[in-house]
Amino acid sequence: MSRPLLLEARDLVRIYRSRRGLTGAVTEVRAVDEVSLKLRAGETLGIVGESGSGKSTLGRMLLGLDPAQGGTVLFEGMPLPRFGTPIWRRLRSRMQMVWQDPLSALDRRLTVAAQIREPLDIHRIGTPEERPARTASLMTAVGLRADQGGRYPHELSGGQRQRVVIARALATNPALLVCDEPVSALDVSIQAQVVNLLRDLQGQKGLGMVFISHDLKVVRNLADRVAVMYLGRIVEEGPAEQIFAEPRHPYTQALVSSIPVPGRPLDARILLQGEPPNPAARPPGCAFHPRCPLAQGLCRTRVPALRVPEPGRAVACHVTAGAQSPVAA
Amino acid sequence: MDRLVEIRDLRVAFDGVPVLHGIDLDVAPGEALGLVGESGCGKSVTWLAALGLLPAKARVTGSVRLGAGELVGAPREALETVRGKRIAMIFQDPSSALNPVIRVGRQICEALRLHRDLRGAAAKAEAIRLMEMVGIPDAPRRFDLYTHEFSGGQCQRLMIAMALAGRPDLLIADEPTTALDATIQAQILELLARLRRETGMATVFISHDLGAVAQICERVCVMYAGRIVEAGPVERLFAHPRHPYTRGLFDAIPQMTGPRRRLVPIPGTVPDPRALPPGCAFAPRCTRAHDACSRARPDLLAQPDGRTLACAYPVPEARADSFSMERAMT
Ligand SMILES: Nc1ncnc2c1ncn2[C@@H]1O[C@H](COP(=O)(O)OP(=O)(O)O)[C@@H](O)[C@H]1O
Ligand SMILES: Nc1ncnc2c1ncn2[C@@H]1O[C@H](COP(=O)(O)OP(=O)(O)O)[C@@H](O)[C@H]1O
Ligand code: SF4
Ligand SMILES: [Mg+2]
Ligand SMILES: [Mg+2]
Repeated sequence: MSRPLLLEARDLVRIYRSRRGLTGAVTEVRAVDEVSLKLRAGETLGIVGESGSGKSTLGRMLLGLDPAQGGTVLFEGMPLPRFGTPIWRRLRSRMQMVWQDPLSALDRRLTVAAQIREPLDIHRIGTPEERPARTASLMTAVGLRADQGGRYPHELSGGQRQRVVIARALATNPALLVCDEPVSALDVSIQAQVVNLLRDLQGQKGLGMVFISHDLKVVRNLADRVAVMYLGRIVEEGPAEQIFAEPRHPYTQALVSSIPVPGRPLDARILLQGEPPNPAARPPGCAFHPRCPLAQGLCRTRVPALRVPEPGRAVACHVTAGAQSPVAA
Repeated sequence: MDRLVEIRDLRVAFDGVPVLHGIDLDVAPGEALGLVGESGCGKSVTWLAALGLLPAKARVTGSVRLGAGELVGAPREALETVRGKRIAMIFQDPSSALNPVIRVGRQICEALRLHRDLRGAAAKAEAIRLMEMVGIPDAPRRFDLYTHEFSGGQCQRLMIAMALAGRPDLLIADEPTTALDATIQAQILELLARLRRETGMATVFISHDLGAVAQICERVCVMYAGRIVEAGPVERLFAHPRHPYTRGLFDAIPQMTGPRRRLVPIPGTVPDPRALPPGCAFAPRCTRAHDACSRARPDLLAQPDGRTLACAYPVPEARADSFSMERAMT
């Protein structure tokens, strides 16, 4: 049950400052606002939420690619070294990232085989003589044919390109894989190929995986646990099955019910009123209150803490996870 | 069937490469028709060709009739009257239809002048009514704002308001919710369904989201590699897909209920139009294919249950595994 803790984030904060126009006032966006999470080896944590909720920023922070203004990230129990330092670079081979757009992640002038081999050269994995064979076995592992090694990225389909990116990420035998919307640009038919691939690879290699996606259906089929983000904060967290079967936070409830299911008439869904708020003008209290069908007076003034209404779950809502629940550690 | 639009043997080629191989399709007045299939199968090109919106290098043949008029090969002025006024089209990306440097109210008024000859106070009043109709709160005050002052979902609503300005008989919505977050997507789907109820305009909804199509369409056409491979009433087709491609699209959808299981992808990819497989274009990816499938292409034939189907070895009608709509879609 208790596999070792691979990754832990404590109270992460990331604030972006930007100026409106040339002379305008500086606005602050708390893209990630006191986020804590834990990931065990071999486990998949799904992160969902609408665009702008801070998922990508959080994903980058977990690898130390985006600096934190507050909080810490522990990888295998040790604080992450500073970005760009030699020890960070050495650690980087153990933590890899897969992005949404494979074309921009690949070098268009290099063949597929050359790109998959590159990390082996950089991190001096195996002898130079061994590397071609290792490259070939990586290609097999992600379902690419040997003859495709000589192709260039633009000669492959979207799904094949994403396989190249995944093979490259796996080259260094990482312990952690952070995937940011890795299948969002793919057709559902092809998406299923890549999702199966990630799941198989994870099973074989015991990777810890953070899987960021706005597609709840995909997350449900891949993640063991799910964290739901809203405007930079985790508003609900728990085992994937429970979150989707019995969402507790009103935002999660709306999100789950917004997935079109035939046989369920349109008006049986929870349709939120209003638009997602401007991250630069975060509503006071619970940031969700202007759209929340259950909001009460307290919601407008006080930020709800993440509480534990039942073991293994955490919810930040004054109404659905009442004050009698213990506060999450 | 009473017909609003009648498409016959519509073919499109780019630089000599055919991408649409003879589409036959009718849209009845007021109906909601869904068009599904993987990207690159010709969903957008079908309607861009019908409305004369393809670049000059595209060669378009066949016939698209709107009432008594023929659109294929029609002069530009004739097409311009049709577009917006009889048939309006909205897209995934609202910035393709909205001008960032003109206030949104003025843009809608301009569409009203063009299509309905409304001017001045009358145009402004109608523009505000349209903005309210598509669910822009506080419309009179926001009449004078620019597009960057609206969220993505609201820009989608504004584009729909522009499309409604000409009181079209048909709205083509090409992936209108694909770029939107789930909760906003649900709002826009609701809006499209409501507008059709209130105005009686027909809707063609192009989407790769079969769940969304099931919710707002009555009839659906499945396209593969530039052809329609299966079409029919939504409930029947989605409850019992018979073309192996349609079935494959359903099986690939991750489930929202029941135990987690491996996903069932469709192997391979949509073929390059320059190298279409012989016979049935789906044969190389098809789990039911026999040798014959790669020799002769099956025609799209009417079936006793009211659907049309192009497959030599379709999924049997009554299946032991009781494939249910619930399982397919959740
Ligand atoms: N480099 C940046 N500079 C300024 N603001 C940023 C930057 N990256 C992200 N943001 C802002 O931070 C917030 C969270 O963004 P992001 O992490 O990309 O969210 P998500 O991945 O959930 O869509 C958004 O409001 C976004 O505009
Ligand atoms: N302007 C264009 N020039 C060349 N080929 C095009 C053009 N537009 C579309 N195509 C090709 O036509 C085929 C059908 O495209 P499209 O109708 O956009 O697919 P869908 O909308 O189903 O995703 C594809 O093979 C696509 O590459
Ligand atoms: S005709 Fe043959 S190859 Fe084509 S879909 Fe049917 S069974 Fe498959
Ligand atoms: Mg993102
Ligand atoms: Mg398209």
